[in-house]
Amino acid sequence: MDKNDHAAIQAVLAGDKEAYGALVVRHSHIIFRVAFRITGNEADAEDVVQEAFLRGYRKLEGFESRSNFGTWIYRIAVHCALDKVKQRRGDETSRVGETNDPEQDQLQVADDAAGPDRLLLSGEIGSMQQTALQSLTATERTAFVLRHMEDRTTVEIGAALGIEPNAAKQAVFRAVQKMRRRLAPLRVAT
Amino acid sequence: MMHLTEEEMIGQVYGEGENAAAVERHLDACRQCTEAFAELQRDLSEVDRVAAPARDAHYGERVWAAIADSLPVYAVQKRRLWSSGLVKGLSYAAACALLVGCAFYAGRLWELKKQPTTAKVEQKAPQVKQPIPIVVVVLDDHLDRSERFLVELKHADMDSTAMASPMRDEARTLLAANRVCRKNVGQTDDPELTTALDHLDSLLADAANEPGGLNAKSIARLQDKMNSDGLLFEVRVLRSRISNHKLAGNNPAKGGTI
Repeated sequence: MDKNDHAAIQAVLAGDKEAYGALVVRHSHIIFRVAFRITGNEADAEDVVQEAFLRGYRKLEGFESRSNFGTWIYRIAVHCALDKVKQRRGDETSRVGETNDPEQDQLQVADDAAGPDRLLLSGEIGSMQQTALQSLTATERTAFVLRHMEDRTTVEIGAALGIEPNAAKQAVFRAVQKMRRRLAPLRVAT
Repeated sequence: MMHLTEEEMIGQVYGEGENAAAVERHLDACRQCTEAFAELQRDLSEVDRVAAPARDAHYGERVWAAIADSLPVYAVQKRRLWSSGLVKGLSYAAACALLVGCAFYAGRLWELKKQPTTAKVEQKAPQVKQPIPIVVVVLDDHLDRSERFLVELKHADMDSTAMASPMRDEARTLLAANRVCRKNVGQTDDPELTTALDHLDSLLADAANEPGGLNAKSIARLQDKMNSDGLLFEVRVLRSRISNHKLAGNNPAKGGTI
């Protein structure tokens, strides 16, 4: 564990609240990055960052000195982001089943995207990918982001999401399958 | 030939396949799977890593400023650390020490219970209390008292009953002491002393157990018995002999316990 982080935590627990500010400054950029990738929304990501550090402060008594504060607050942020996505997309999450059946997925996911020609012409490939990500359930989206963009192992993803590693692996598989189907029209067009 | 599943290929892309070597060999041998795998890699590579909007160097400070006011101070935390750390540790140590002490004490009790019975008897024997009071009877004193009793008996007034009761009580006390002396003298080789104490015992027994108490008739009978045995003389000789031994430095006292 970073000695500076450890010293700051000890100071906070000893009554020096301002010491927590150093931890916030040191880790807020990484937390914002993963929060944005999971929520896909800048404002939500800002909220997640603040919520994560607030929760971290309240749970600081239970923090084990052997752990890494960066990893610890990262997991809290993932939970917060997941909660944010679920809260925002509660209805959609319950509508999209966690299934491998492609036909079922196609029927369940609402498709608001424009056609591939228009997307290519207007240069909105990134927007289409965002739409594809939005079509995933909150758990699938988070698992995919952590695996594909944050390079986390399935064990780490499981720990962050509070699920078994195998369940995290299955969530990644489902997310990739859905993403490929959603982006298939783009590939045909190119 | 069994082709690879999409799951196997996804696992291979992310380097978390369960049997990476076998998948690799299959990809080398199967053109169809190789093409499918290449397509998967291309698809995933096209999914850009979502670039988070840039945040300036003061972003962390702004986050801290936004949440700082809502955070309580861990004012009691120092005390909690103290209590949860040192005091808790000491408590555990004390509890462990108490547990070990109890276990040791229980073990000692168990060992004592398991000791052989003979050892227990040896330990307890000296502590046994005699319910009977211990009376050390010194032969010299006994003979002295017996002589006085016999003199009193010799000169007893047969018409007076006032002396009858104290004499019987004295006879009973002397009888008990005499039996202790006889028992101890029996272990020595002194026939003269043994004979005298036997005669004395017979006389004291008659005086102590006279039915209806001593009276003129029983006193007369006891006087005849005493004179016929020459008991008073015998007692005086013995007392004189023991007194001489006492003066000579020998231990004349022979006694016992009742």
